[in-house]
Amino acid sequence: MRKFKCFLNFDQEEKWLNHMARQGWEFVGKSICYHFQKAEPEDTRIKMDYRPFTRKADFEDYRALFEDSGWKHIQGSKSSGYQYFRKVSGQGSEDIFSDADSKAGRYKRLSKMWLSISVTYFPICVVLGTTGTFKPAALLNPEAFYLTPGLWEKTGSSFWRAFLFETPFALFRGLGIYLLPTVIILYLFFFFKANRQYKKMQGGNLIR
Amino acid sequence: MGRDKHLPLTETVYYILLALHEPAHGYLILQKVEELSGGQVRMAAGTLYGAIENLIKLRFIEPVGSVGSRRKVYVITEAGRTVLSLDFERMSHMIETTRRIWNPDGRERNAEI
Repeated sequence: MRKFKCFLNFDQEEKWLNHMARQGWEFVGKSICYHFQKAEPEDTRIKMDYRPFTRKADFEDYRALFEDSGWKHIQGSKSSGYQYFRKVSGQGSEDIFSDADSKAGRYKRLSKMWLSISVTYFPICVVLGTTGTFKPAALLNPEAFYLTPGLWEKTGSSFWRAFLFETPFALFRGLGIYLLPTVIILYLFFFFKANRQYKKMQGGNLIR
Repeated sequence: MGRDKHLPLTETVYYILLALHEPAHGYLILQKVEELSGGQVRMAAGTLYGAIENLIKLRFIEPVGSVGSRRKVYVITEAGRTVLSLDFERMSHMIETTRRIWNPDGRERNAEI
C-alpha cells in the first residue's frame, strides 16, 4: 500500500508510523509517498533522525553504533538525511536521543538543508526576474499565451481542437515561470518551521 | 580571567573524553561512559553520535582506524587532554572550596572558616 503524507514534525511522523504498524502495516520504503506491506500487527517503536552524510564510512559507522545499541536502521540512505530506526532489543534506551539538545539538533540540521536549497535556487530566480520573464500583468491577458497562428479566428470544432490542444502548453507558459518562486517560498516556509521547532525544543529542560 | 572558552564541559563530554583515554568505538564509548559514571549517564546512540562529531570538529578526539569494516575507533587528542585536565582542576577547586565552608554530611565545620 502507498500513502501520501507530509510531515514537518518528527514526533508526529514517528507516531503515525507506529500507529500504522499496530494496524498491521509495516513501513518498508519511502519515495514521494510512504510504502507499506501487510504484516502482523505489532507494537513498534520507530524513531527518526535527520543526518545526511558525505562519506560512506561515516554513514556505516553511524548505522553500526545504532545497531549495537539495539536500533535497527530500517530506512534512509547516505544522502537522503531522513533516517528511520526501529527498536529491536528489549534492553537499551527508549529513545535514540538522551537529552533535549541533541533531540532538537535534528531540526537544526533539517532547517539548514531547507535554507541551503532555497539559497541555491535564488540566483536563478533573480536572473529570470531581471530579464523580465516574470510579467504579472500578462496573467490578466491569458490569450497572449496561445501562440497558434489564427487560433482566435477559428470557429466550431476546429477552434476547440486547437484550443484544447494548446491549453496545457499555454498554462505552462503562463504559470510555469511562477513555479520556481513558489517552490522557493515553500522551502523557506519549511526552513522557518524547522528552525522554530529547533528554538522551541532546544534547552527545554536544561538549566544553563 | 582568561578561562578556556570550552569550560565547563558538560557531564557527558567529560566522561566521553575520559573514556577515550584508551581508543574505543562508538558502542564501547557508550558502555564506558555508563560504567565510569556509576550508571548515572546513559547516552543514547543519536546523542553520542552528535557528541562524537562535535568533538572531532573541536579536535578533542580523532579517529584512529576501525574495528571490522564498519566501526570507527576514536581516541583523545593532546588538545582534548588539555581541556579535560583544565575542567578537572576547575571541579577540584569547587569541591575543595565547598568542603572548606560547607559539609554536605551535615556536620558542622565552622571552626575552619
